[in-house]
Amino acid sequence: MHHANHFYGHAHVLAEYCGLDPEHPPRIDGYVQHGWNVVDGLGIGTPYLPGRPIFVWSEQTRRRAWSMGRRQATVIGAPFLYLLRFAAPEPEPATRAGTIWYPFHGWEGQQVKGSHGRQIDEIMATETGPVTFCLYWNEYHNDKIRAEYEKAGRVICHGYRGFQWRDTDIRFLHNQLGELRAHRRVASNRLSSAIFYGAAAGCEPAVYGDPMHLEREDLAVAERIRRQWPELHGKHPEPETARRSALAELGDGYLASPAELRLLLGWSLDRAAVPA
Amino acid sequence: MIRLIGGEMPGWNEDRPPAGGALYGYLTDQLPAGSRVLVAGPHDPALIEALAARTAVTCLVRSQPEAERLDARGLDVLCGTLTKLTDADRWDAVVALDGVGRLCSVEGPQYDWTECLRALRNVLLPGGLLLLTVENELGVHRLVDPAAATVALTDDAWRPLGEFDDSRPGSPARLADRLATEELALDWLGAAWPSPAAPTLVATADALLTGPAGALSAAAASAVASAYADRAVLSDPRRLAAAAVRAGLGPELAPAWLVLARLAPAPPATGAPETATPLRLPPVLLGDGPPAGPLPTGRLLEELLLTACLRHDLPAVRGLLTGWMAAVPDAGPENVVVAGETFTKLDPGVPPRADVLRCFATTLLTGGYAHPWPAATDLRTLTAILHAAAGLPGDQPAIPTDEDPPIPNSRRDQEEQLRSLRRLLADAEARAEVYEQEIAKRDAELTKARVQIAAFGGSFGYRMAKLGYGVARKARQRLRKRA
Repeated sequence: MHHANHFYGHAHVLAEYCGLDPEHPPRIDGYVQHGWNVVDGLGIGTPYLPGRPIFVWSEQTRRRAWSMGRRQATVIGAPFLYLLRFAAPEPEPATRAGTIWYPFHGWEGQQVKGSHGRQIDEIMATETGPVTFCLYWNEYHNDKIRAEYEKAGRVICHGYRGFQWRDTDIRFLHNQLGELRAHRRVASNRLSSAIFYGAAAGCEPAVYGDPMHLEREDLAVAERIRRQWPELHGKHPEPETARRSALAELGDGYLASPAELRLLLGWSLDRAAVPA
Repeated sequence: MIRLIGGEMPGWNEDRPPAGGALYGYLTDQLPAGSRVLVAGPHDPALIEALAARTAVTCLVRSQPEAERLDARGLDVLCGTLTKLTDADRWDAVVALDGVGRLCSVEGPQYDWTECLRALRNVLLPGGLLLLTVENELGVHRLVDPAAATVALTDDAWRPLGEFDDSRPGSPARLADRLATEELALDWLGAAWPSPAAPTLVATADALLTGPAGALSAAAASAVASAYADRAVLSDPRRLAAAAVRAGLGPELAPAWLVLARLAPAPPATGAPETATPLRLPPVLLGDGPPAGPLPTGRLLEELLLTACLRHDLPAVRGLLTGWMAAVPDAGPENVVVAGETFTKLDPGVPPRADVLRCFATTLLTGGYAHPWPAATDLRTLTAILHAAAGLPGDQPAIPTDEDPPIPNSRRDQEEQLRSLRRLLADAEARAEVYEQEIAKRDAELTKARVQIAAFGGSFGYRMAKLGYGVARKARQRLRKRA
């Protein structure tokens, strides 16, 4: 349907959950929300086909989509939660240490503006344990930016999101889950999918520091996010409240069974699989 | 024996069925045996005969052919218009379960509601009982009726006053006042569904207020469901009846009120003991009498499912579907009451069905209810999703193809289906346009790619060899033609 369904290997995770081949997920009859946002769940500029379902993470996003004229939204929950359902359980006892820090990132269309150096200083002054910087591929492949972070700690990248069904790192979320489980805290300078995933994977979330900004970014949205989710902002938010809030945003409790999800995505077993 | 009292209608037959049914039969059965009873207005002959077996019955009808039919059954009949009835003869009880709308003939004065009540009261003996049905002009049956009561549709509507008869009581409280004005003490008042002519559920205001609201609203919905199967209505009377009961407006919006009233008794002789024992009627009557046991507590499954769907509360919808399919998978959601985790059949006598999930999918689609799977616009897909959401095995269940049970044919649902089809069509047209643009774009890309392949495909030697082979093939063809 749309190549964003394959971003971060979402379609692949959903296929594995549904008992299908995770390397070759069939075409999804609709649009899967590919990241946390405060609009209708779709990415900017997604060419939407009228009447087709959009599969959003949370009931709140569904209500927002409805108010924006998207009538066919169905809540399925975030693919990351589906991964948690079938991934191997966290080893016991958990060996977590330090913080995994996700600096606000840019993408092909917009780069981040702001001082990475000052941000690193604030992070190092705040975090007490070792810090792993997880850069988005966009910054990871920028040698200058990566070098700044490498001076302060370990630097990783979960993989490439993918574009037009090409070069997708289908183990992106698996990599992310593995890293999150190795850390006690997850932090960023912007509330984002990674913070929610971290909270769901058992990290204590925090959002602090210079929020920086994207080229041509509407900063009113960022301010609205801070007002709406204060429980997730700050250097040390109350972990349990933050976790509940994060799980609600991911659609915890709304996950469909494999059989129901197969029907929703157009993957029922008696239908011929259509390649994506 | 027929006594013609004046104002009778010689060639007239009532064009609507008379009051009747098992529940009315139960009520008349409660009148004291051996008493003298006037049955005023058209009533089901079976009901009259059952009453006549226990009491001395006199019938009052305006239709002469009807009077003759009753006479042929050996009944005592007064034939004529109500205004000719005098108090020369009086009765222990007057039964007017057809209301007072068919007591005056075309001849003579046309009594309004209060005048009719007074005329009936005047023929009661002191202490006599009046069993009366009063139609509610704001009842559910009127609210969903595509035709107004004031439109004269039938031959008996020679004066269709409808709600414009100001003497009619518009509420149970006003009805009690009108009775009191006529010195009639109210012993019992019940709200009745689904119709004044043949109610199958009657409940007192107190029962509706303090009884199990879920079961009573379900019973009201079920009563109207049977009466309105396949009938044209403005909106679904099941939802209206149930919502009224739940909202505490059951008596105000019921199609009719049944009253048992008593004329003040004659002052007892000094020192004489009171002999009359007041007639006690039950708070709830269902079908043909009081319910066999206590009504179940809890809410109707169908209403809970619709509420959860409208809230888009997927966990709740899945929980209800799963509980239903585990406990009573052969009962329709309109016949299941849910109390906590317990799912119970409301009426165990309803035959089992195999297609209950499909029926609920039909309700969602035809009723235009918002639900969590808005892109599933066809019955098969939505049924399969409900099947999966209920945790039942198999991706594509064999969906039974039996006919859906008949439901009210609602104008509002039709409007919604029209809107829904227009939406689907508009979406499909918009998609077709996108596909066409996409095909045009890809055709252009394909043409360009073919030109490039033709221009650059293969080495120089290969292209020369191909050219030579083509020339040789043509030359061979020419040689063959000459031969």
